[in-house]
Amino acid sequence: MIRLWGIRDAFEGVIPSVVATTDARGMPNISYLSHVHYVDERHVALSNQFFSKTSENVRHSGMATVMVVDGRTGQQHILHLRFTNAVGEGELFDRVAAHLTVTSAQQGMGEIMKLRSLDIYEVEDCRPVFGPAVPGAKEAGQPQHHHLAAAARICNVISAQVDTELMLDCALAELQGLLGYGNAMVLVPDGEGARLSTIASRGYSTFGFGSEVAVGEGTAGLAASSRRPLRISDFRRGQRYASAVREAAGSEVVSPIPFPALAEPRSQLAVPMLVRGRLMGVLFVESERSYAFDHNDEEALSLVANQLATSLLLAEQERPESTAEPQISGRSSRAAADRPVHVRYFPRDGGVFFDGEYIIRGLSGRLLHHFISAFLATGQADFFNRALRREPSLQLPDFKDNLETRLILLRRRLEERGGPIQIVRPVRGQVRLECAGRCEIEVG
Amino acid sequence: MIGADVAAFIEGPLMILASTRDSAGRAYIARGSGVRFDRATGRFDVLVNASLWPEVVAHAVQGEPVAVTLVRPNDYRAYQVKGWIKDVAAVSEDEQARGRAYVERMLEVMGELGVNRVQLSHTLTDWDLVCISFVPTDLFVQTPGPGAGARLVQS
Repeated sequence: MIRLWGIRDAFEGVIPSVVATTDARGMPNISYLSHVHYVDERHVALSNQFFSKTSENVRHSGMATVMVVDGRTGQQHILHLRFTNAVGEGELFDRVAAHLTVTSAQQGMGEIMKLRSLDIYEVEDCRPVFGPAVPGAKEAGQPQHHHLAAAARICNVISAQVDTELMLDCALAELQGLLGYGNAMVLVPDGEGARLSTIASRGYSTFGFGSEVAVGEGTAGLAASSRRPLRISDFRRGQRYASAVREAAGSEVVSPIPFPALAEPRSQLAVPMLVRGRLMGVLFVESERSYAFDHNDEEALSLVANQLATSLLLAEQERPESTAEPQISGRSSRAAADRPVHVRYFPRDGGVFFDGEYIIRGLSGRLLHHFISAFLATGQADFFNRALRREPSLQLPDFKDNLETRLILLRRRLEERGGPIQIVRPVRGQVRLECAGRCEIEVG
Repeated sequence: MIGADVAAFIEGPLMILASTRDSAGRAYIARGSGVRFDRATGRFDVLVNASLWPEVVAHAVQGEPVAVTLVRPNDYRAYQVKGWIKDVAAVSEDEQARGRAYVERMLEVMGELGVNRVQLSHTLTDWDLVCISFVPTDLFVQTPGPGAGARLVQS
């Protein structure tokens, strides 16, 4: 019997799988099915929402025959299955449900298919269908990279970096250089766990720092909510997810920052960045090619994602503080210009607008409001992490405060936008506001 | 059994699956290399590669059941036709030509949908064909959705 592990790339469903069963009269029934899911070396799971005759037949005979197809090479395998049980919950169920949710939505099927149950089968036999030798098929099935070696090298690069921003950018650069991921981004969760914000990106026309996706939506959002890698091999009718920015009650409609994304992705892979069970972010790659990512990519990216998560957590916990007291400079490091800047702040969600243009919200928005307010009130332009953590208006928790990533997000968002208000980080643990305009703040 | 609408559908570009079963009730899977429905006699022919799908052909015996599923790849409209086998034979020259034409046509159709020849290399074959013939006794809608599997009532 062929090892199932060796044919995992056939468990994709892009070239549909086939299932055949026999009814009580002995009449065969044959149909396509959405997915065959690898469980372990002796088990697979079938999910199909429209399975009436097949399910009835399986309940009668206990048998099913399945054919899976490797989307890269066309190689087909026949599996003889025997039904064992149905599951409606658990890790496997959740993984399959997440995959179904994103594929059905991305394929423009309107209503998201809800997985009701998953049928588990024992694999009694697995054999290849011996077809003709086809030029190009062998090459198509060969991995393009040595994934484990690449992942190890990228993890080493990440762990050697002391600067968090550099670490994020180096990770994406290495992913492109060693694994060929030309379009990649890192997204980090907000304090409430409702949204992910782009903190680093590579390969797009804009960085899109601060752009958001809702947790639970799209490939990256579902990887965050399910805490599992999510790989889509072929969006035949690729329909992009727009970032969903919920309008806060009492505020005007927010114009989201354009999300850095391919117009027509064929493949996407999103991997949660986890450390000690905590979601630190999502590492996301996509491609205009079908089948750009396989299981090797998923596993390599998982190693890199968790190394990133660990390094981000350490950056958060190290808290290197300058022993110097904050210096009240009286003016920013830039000469204040006459240009007026109307800053509008919404305390409810921390949303900040400059001259009617949405800038950022959440903790990053509260930080920006705090910097500008302090500067206007006292001329203070330098701020220290230690003091920020004690500042009640920022509502930072005692731990898991995300201050480091939110400051990076804010700095990058302001830099990408350009304009008279910027922040710089002259030394670790310190932030400096550079304000080359006459700010006035309106609250609410 | 098969009305004009479905008969016309059968003449279009379709992906084809066929299944027979053994005495223990194990169903076997084959890909079809062409179908033909004779409106006058009601006879349904499906071409199958005997080298690739030996079990299906081995259990394609006169008097035994067979099921054929037909899917139009551009919109997923699908039917399943079932019946009892009347005849199994090596293909004639005309049938071989029909199998060859079917493969060429489907490579073109699937290519337009973004599926390349390598991906289809084991799916569409036109060699070592046999013809399994039967008269349909059952017709089912197989288009994905809540109605999949419903027996079709023909006027």
